[in-house]
Amino acid sequence: MSKTIPELKRLERRDLDVLLSYDNDKNFVVTYDDIKHACPCAKCAPQRNEDESSRYLRREIEAMSPEKPKVKTVGKYAISFEWINGCSSGIYRFERIWALANKLDPDDGKSYVHGAW
Amino acid sequence: MSIHNPNADDSKEPNASPQQQKQMEQAYAQMKRKMAMEEIGRKIKHKIMVLSGKGGVGKSTVSTGLALSLAQQGHSVGILDIDITGPNVPKMMGLDGRRLHVEEGRIHPAQGHLGVKVISMAFLLEDEDTPVVWRGPIKLGAIQQFIGDVEWGELDYLVIDFPPGTSDEPLTVAQSLPNIDGMVIVTTPQDVALLDSRKSITFSESLKVPVLGVVENMSGYTIRGKTASSTEVIISGPGGKSHKVSSDGDGNFSVTLDIFKEGGGKDTAEEFGVPFLGALPFDPGFVRGGDDGVHRIVSEPDGESAKAFSKVVEAIVEQIGESSSEGLEIV
Repeated sequence: MSKTIPELKRLERRDLDVLLSYDNDKNFVVTYDDIKHACPCAKCAPQRNEDESSRYLRREIEAMSPEKPKVKTVGKYAISFEWINGCSSGIYRFERIWALANKLDPDDGKSYVHGAW
Repeated sequence: MSIHNPNADDSKEPNASPQQQKQMEQAYAQMKRKMAMEEIGRKIKHKIMVLSGKGGVGKSTVSTGLALSLAQQGHSVGILDIDITGPNVPKMMGLDGRRLHVEEGRIHPAQGHLGVKVISMAFLLEDEDTPVVWRGPIKLGAIQQFIGDVEWGELDYLVIDFPPGTSDEPLTVAQSLPNIDGMVIVTTPQDVALLDSRKSITFSESLKVPVLGVVENMSGYTIRGKTASSTEVIISGPGGKSHKVSSDGDGNFSVTLDIFKEGGGKDTAEEFGVPFLGALPFDPGFVRGGDDGVHRIVSEPDGESAKAFSKVVEAIVEQIGESSSEGLEIV
């Protein structure tokens, strides 16, 4: 969580993806499908624990009609996406966005732990 | 309330029945309250919910501590004690036995230490030993009244203290009060509390209220002593763990013992990718202060606990920011 990453300065919503500009002058493109698939909420995240359910989630997302989401900041540490189709609950920390931009595993290899409820 | 339409032919229109009249009045009152809530939303700059999954972790102590620490920094602050069945905030704020002032249908909060405004169910109880046994809808109505009918005035921060768990109260507040900045989750470093904190974090996602972070309360107890100068002392801590400390040139030494466990709150925050706001020490002064109505921050404004609260407040203010979109351009 406390990884040092460059600061996200600009997020441009395009038709199928976002263009991210960081303060180290690097730009990245992340597709909306990748963002939706990496949703950190308690409903979506456990589906990535197993390969099969993760693939199913991906197929579900890809079947949705393309849309440009609303994006807003959450405090100073994250952003959230509001979609018409798909889950809008996830709060994406800037570290997660950075991982997605760099094609890294946003879950860092960890499976989602629900606890005992 | 009566609504007159000048174009209507009154002689042909039947009058509203008493039941219809009552429904219209209720709808009017509801609309007025909704407008008042929106107005309150504008007048109060920041609203912070304080929750915990488990009871007994010191949530009301943290809520009052945060409010007082913010007030200490010069902010105008209010506390809304939404724990209908177990309201403790007035006692901690030295407002035990006080009654609320009502003027022109608006409730005026009581003012506690450092000018912090307080609203609590405790002010409405005839006898502090009388339990409040209310079912959901009545509780919901009382909460909406506490939000919509209170004359808070202009506030920088409103701290909202909830009962433990993930029940009706946070849901009602999140749906009624606009623009809540986020929630602070209070935990203690023990497995059951941490497990329940995880529930609260997940709950925040359902409420669509961001988690400002996790505060670990009762995090460690610092003991101090005196011995010969520059001497090594071995302290036997909880669980048989030995702590080796050295005294300074004057023979003073101190060591912080983890009464429960170490770093649980931080680990939970990291696991869920939410900020860790800091740890508050185990301080028996809080118990005495709570009972006497003089909060530790008021009695010892420069003490260790006040400093720890101040750090947590700094972390919260950092999360909220004056402008949350500062620095990031979204197009």
